[in-house]
Amino acid sequence: MRRYFREISVAAALILLLGVLAVLGPAFFQIHPLLSLLAREAPELVVTCGIAFVIVSRQIDISVGAQFGVCSVVAGVLAASGWPLFGVLVAAIGTGLVLGALNGLLVAGLRLPSIVVTLATMVIWREGLRWKRQGQFVNLPDGMQWLGQTQTRGQIVIIVAALILLGVLIWAMKYLAAGRFVYAVGSDAEAARLAGIRPQLTTFIVFAFAGVLTGLASMMNILQSPQVDPKSGSGLELKAIAAAVVGGVAISGGRGNLIGPFLGLLLLACIGPALTHLHIEAYWEKAIQGAIILLAVMAEGWRSRK
Amino acid sequence: MKTPSSKSLSAIRRLLVRHETVLLVVLIAEWVYFNSVGRHFGSLDNTYDILRHSVEIGLLALVMTPIILTGGIDLSVGSLLGLCAICFGKLWRDAGLSVPVAILCTLCIGTAAGSLNGALITRLRLPPLIVTLGTYSLFRGLAEAITHGVDTFTHFPSWFLFLGQERFAGVPAQAPIFFIAVIAIWLMVHRTVLGRSFRAIGFSPEGALYAGIPVRLRLMQVYALAGLFSAVAAIIYTARLGQAKADAGTGYELFAITAVVLGGTSIFGGSGSVHGTLLGIAAIGVLNNGLVHAQWPREMAGVVTGILLLLALTASTLPKMLTGLRSRRHTAATKPQTQSVT
Repeated sequence: MRRYFREISVAAALILLLGVLAVLGPAFFQIHPLLSLLAREAPELVVTCGIAFVIVSRQIDISVGAQFGVCSVVAGVLAASGWPLFGVLVAAIGTGLVLGALNGLLVAGLRLPSIVVTLATMVIWREGLRWKRQGQFVNLPDGMQWLGQTQTRGQIVIIVAALILLGVLIWAMKYLAAGRFVYAVGSDAEAARLAGIRPQLTTFIVFAFAGVLTGLASMMNILQSPQVDPKSGSGLELKAIAAAVVGGVAISGGRGNLIGPFLGLLLLACIGPALTHLHIEAYWEKAIQGAIILLAVMAEGWRSRK
Repeated sequence: MKTPSSKSLSAIRRLLVRHETVLLVVLIAEWVYFNSVGRHFGSLDNTYDILRHSVEIGLLALVMTPIILTGGIDLSVGSLLGLCAICFGKLWRDAGLSVPVAILCTLCIGTAAGSLNGALITRLRLPPLIVTLGTYSLFRGLAEAITHGVDTFTHFPSWFLFLGQERFAGVPAQAPIFFIAVIAIWLMVHRTVLGRSFRAIGFSPEGALYAGIPVRLRLMQVYALAGLFSAVAAIIYTARLGQAKADAGTGYELFAITAVVLGGTSIFGGSGSVHGTLLGIAAIGVLNNGLVHAQWPREMAGVVTGILLLLALTASTLPKMLTGLRSRRHTAATKPQTQSVT
């Protein structure tokens, strides 16, 4: 019970919010808006998982938003030039892999601080993208949106895919040796090394894997609209970090799981629509999200002081 | 084993690979290149233009230096700039305060907001990265909530706009404020006990505490100061553009951090300098302006800044890595069973 204090409290907050909505704004629970909300959040969930891995290994990656943008545009351009869907998917994931591996190389290979490295790569990718596209959208071919299915079916496919991935990652993090390596390196890299784990290699793989997940997420995102916005993914890194932190992933590394971030993301994502249904001005969304992040870390601070 | 000549050689090498020296060379190279390519780049007017556009990010980078020296970070300065700009506009237009009173209130609001960061970090012992990530959302969110996302404040009195757009004694009117800030921060960091204690905290908070440094108070002060500087930057921003809106200063925190790190301050705290930060600000400012004069795409500035940042970082860790490799080889020779700890 105490071990899952954070997950339970985030879940309680989420249930409370849903309860209030059920009484005051039952329209929130209509199936189609709810599906749209979940489908919109599915790519963010996948990115959040990658970020959670990175934070557990005691690093940080603030370039995922920019990576997301690059992957989206690469996938969009290839799709527009007639590549088959599977090829586009592989290309998006491959692009993510390359971008993530580059971060990993700089952090693990040259031992540079990850916050500065990813700050730099974020600016490089984002500005490079702006230069290449000049803000132009990429038009996707017909039949690409929702995989050529109806909207509802497409949404369900995307949501289910994200949830399956989440389940696999939760399992892998808990029961696979590779998953435990990430915790070991994050809680004490030197001890991990003495135990026979290669911390630098682990760090590299974690960054590369976060890139892969980002590439996959970008693909899940572009399936939802007829166009690709070159600005897509702006601010995604902070949203994902916020969800992970609210979900109890310790920024000091070595602690946390993926259930917490999943619940954290749901909580943060429900605020915006909830405000609309409770007839509160939507402009408060960001302020409330910020307050929730602060509350979550304050709760953690109080708990650790006891 | 070490002869005097090798010692002095390593001293020279140390001076050469010092961030400030490398950065100065980069800055001069930038200047020479843009001066040869752009027609009006080297003119005094353009130099003032660079200065004018660097002041707001410059103020944030200045105050970010002591923060990063303590091993902290403040992601909320850009958002706070936006919030302060909105508060200033609101106080002046809707609350009917005169501009000087509104400025004073805004400075108080900024300091209070900075103190909120400080209080959360020191009282609850939370990591600054997370606290300021939260206030990053909170401050920007409040600015959007106050303006409903659309409201902007314009038609400020012309004497106020003078501060941001005109010349005072031949230099841009905001330049004197910036120079006062530079001197104040430089003195604080390099010539006072305060500056020493920031370094001590960054080097080892626990050690600093045992050495009798009031760690919490110092951290509180430095984050409150960041709030104050964000407010000053907000006033100057508003005066320069003649407009206060909720998205003012978006992304400025990243440029400020970039300038500080580019200037050689260790992101882990404990070492760094204000003059390094100044060079960092200048390098970014010259790049942004020069690329336009050289008729390169504007976005190249971001790309080049990012690459510069990576190169500067690599350059700064290279000596450490080389000594690390050497000591590893050394220990490997003496004790073949264990690897050295780097």
